[in-house]
Amino acid sequence: MLEGLFGNVTVEKIFFFLNTYGEAYPLGMARVFGEPVNRIQQQLKRLENSGIVVSRLVGRVRLYTFSPQYPFLKELKSLLSKASEFIPEKEKDKYYRIRTRPRRAGKPL
Amino acid sequence: MKIDWKHIKIKELAAIVAEKLTEKDIDAILVGGACVSIYTKNKYLSYDLDFVSHALMKDITPALSELGFKRESSRHFIRTDCPFFIEFVSPPAAIGNEPVKMREKIKTRFGSIILLTPTDCVKDRLAAFYHWDDPQALEQALLVAKAQKINLKEIKRWSEQEGQIEKYDVFIRKIKG
Repeated sequence: MLEGLFGNVTVEKIFFFLNTYGEAYPLGMARVFGEPVNRIQQQLKRLENSGIVVSRLVGRVRLYTFSPQYPFLKELKSLLSKASEFIPEKEKDKYYRIRTRPRRAGKPL
Repeated sequence: MKIDWKHIKIKELAAIVAEKLTEKDIDAILVGGACVSIYTKNKYLSYDLDFVSHALMKDITPALSELGFKRESSRHFIRTDCPFFIEFVSPPAAIGNEPVKMREKIKTRFGSIILLTPTDCVKDRLAAFYHWDDPQALEQALLVAKAQKINLKEIKRWSEQEGQIEKYDVFIRKIKG
């Protein structure tokens, strides 16, 4: 949908994911989208170099978020929110409505 | 002029790099922790020099190469005998949602440095405190605020714009306290 604007579909997915969940780690996104983790990492690195996302280590996991200091963040999020209205329901269910509330350790699924 | 790269001061290095960039017709502004070091006379010492430039890396790289700095990754440059590293941060030069409008020029015996004004330097540090709760960034903002003449009215306006007036109050209390 915004692939033409962002240059590739992986970046589009990363942006929608971060806009929905606030933060993410590469392997988690790779699993959700069924994409190779190195493809996600490569794009995240590019976005980090451009100052659009930032990352921090939590234990051994590198978590990515939008950079609150990116000067066009408000406009980017606004675009993503508008565009997300056009995502098909099936795709929304699959990628952007994943459970995020806590689950007690040891609780059977 | 012979340069002692091992013992060079951050302000001297900033001037040498800035002069080289100017010589190559590359506009760049020094931002980040290096500005804090310069404005506080190294009460806080940064080891990285962050420049913002709209020039392409393919033009910046040979300019820094003439100073012996090699491109280490996409935007970093190092020189093995120099304790500082140089980064070209992705443009635009911005503080929060606002573009950097004013620039300070400092003359040194190695040349001139274009950098953030003291007021923008404080805002730049406060941005990290506002968004990341980074206590070091607050400390650096305070160091600059105490060492330089700054425009508190402008910082308050910007903080309101960023929706961070409560944290601005923390900063003000610490200045006065």
